[in-house]
Amino acid sequence: MSDILSVALPKGRLGDKVYGIFERAGFGCPDILDPGRKLIFESPEHGVRYFFVKPSDVAIYVERGAADIGVAGKDILLEYAPQVYELLDFGIGRCKMCVCGRPDFRDDPNRTLRVATKFTKIARDYYAGLGRSIDSIHLNGSIELAPILGLSDVIVDIVETGATLRENGLGVLAEVCDISARLIANKVSYKFKYDAVTALAARLRDTTEVGK
Amino acid sequence: MAFTQFSSVSDGVFASLRNLWERRGYTRYRVSRFEEYDLYAKNRTFITGSSILTFTDTDGRLMALKPDVTLSVIKNTAPSPALRKLYYRESVYRASDPSSGFAEIQQAGLECIGDLGLFDVCEVISLAARSLAALSDRYILDLTHLGLLGGFLEDSGVDPELRPELLRLAGEKNSHEAGALMRRAGVPDGVSAVFDAMIHLRAPLEEAVARLSALPLGDRAAAALSELARIARALRGTEGIYLDLSLRSDERYYEGVVMSGYIPGVPSAVLSGGRYDGLMRRLHKSAGAMGFALYLNLLERLLPEPETLDADVLVLHDGSDPEGLLRAVGGLEAEGARVRVDRAAPEGFRCGRILRYEGGELRE
Repeated sequence: MSDILSVALPKGRLGDKVYGIFERAGFGCPDILDPGRKLIFESPEHGVRYFFVKPSDVAIYVERGAADIGVAGKDILLEYAPQVYELLDFGIGRCKMCVCGRPDFRDDPNRTLRVATKFTKIARDYYAGLGRSIDSIHLNGSIELAPILGLSDVIVDIVETGATLRENGLGVLAEVCDISARLIANKVSYKFKYDAVTALAARLRDTTEVGK
Repeated sequence: MAFTQFSSVSDGVFASLRNLWERRGYTRYRVSRFEEYDLYAKNRTFITGSSILTFTDTDGRLMALKPDVTLSVIKNTAPSPALRKLYYRESVYRASDPSSGFAEIQQAGLECIGDLGLFDVCEVISLAARSLAALSDRYILDLTHLGLLGGFLEDSGVDPELRPELLRLAGEKNSHEAGALMRRAGVPDGVSAVFDAMIHLRAPLEEAVARLSALPLGDRAAAALSELARIARALRGTEGIYLDLSLRSDERYYEGVVMSGYIPGVPSAVLSGGRYDGLMRRLHKSAGAMGFALYLNLLERLLPEPETLDADVLVLHDGSDPEGLLRAVGGLEAEGARVRVDRAAPEGFRCGRILRYEGGELRE
């Protein structure tokens, strides 16, 4: 097991923001600013190696030990329940997981509620907590279409500003949970690289607190 | 240890484990590949994963390919004034992850059943540590006592409805959500701070016990800590044992000490176990019990990278001189080369060099 920490970051805007926090915390890697075709960026002097993966894959890389730590959205952690430690809430990429539908929708308890979502487990857990049986419809995109076309009664999806919902005549009916970016660690890496992981997490926490 | 095939890994490791366990008086126990499904149906949550392979036997009974060994051992263990000290190596069949289907998982482990005293508990923990040492020069055996966190929350008057979620968050070392949950529920800051310190405490066992002793824990947690302190003293000098209170186990089955073992290169626990008196009670057995299992299939991760070449030398020939070819190839083999002989290069075959057997000799 190498002493250098492998860090899986989510591709895209969130990953860029998160890398900024790592950099301010003293774990910069100048190569990242000039990426070219490289996939892995290493900074031996800071003891870190970064790579960017699809946001929904970060937790898999960490759980399976290909990365020691990573940054994943709480939505992914709730949906896939990876066996990892969750060490820090960065407080960025904030949004909410919500039940959405037509503003005049009234739930009829005599009928099974049809719920379209990308987040099947989150939806099932939420409604199980309410004791409500649902017909869960897994979709991969354009979730808002489902209640408009009568495919579902409601949707469970991430809401940032609510603009897309409003433009399509939909609204938030209930909030399920808050979502933001979290620092996660592989459980075995945490144990064998304890000093490095906890020192990095502490510096990231300090940097995040300053930024709040 | 250097192995090139998984069967060599698991056989080699098991030979070491068996030697270690037999030297402490454990005897081999064999269980049938099948059990009546009822045994698992009544204790379904004890088994990791929810799917079990079932079939109807010739006499109409619903049977299962065993997804777990411990339940079978307990079921077939008769009461005895002496301890039963058993070890096993068995395959279990589970679909731990519904998306990846059923898998055969090789397990080896031991069970100590009866009226357990401090020595017996320490012996099982010590054997767990030494079993990990048989797998790797570097290992970590995490230990906790389930009465520590649970007892602290109970003594602190934390709402019973809140406790399972707090214990789940402790398992993730998730301070931020545990803290927020406690704040919303009006749990005093002092209680929240101690809980946070507990879930992040990680140190060699004896040091961790000393650090915990300085915290205001309450009577139940203090009793658990006292038990752990005696274990720590007894195990003084045993390398690689840490206290980690984030370790969780299902409290319907486990109580007291639970443990989890890790080696570098394998991204999840290779050993898990603990004291499962609760499971014994559920199966109407009056004795106590403690044991652990090692997941041998995870040791595949320890195999070296596969050879990049299929053979060192590919010898091509036209079939006209088999006697001479045999002698020539025998010479290459005697030099230590891996040799493939064929009339044409197989598709996708990777080799260091290609020789042609022509006119009674090998040519580049």
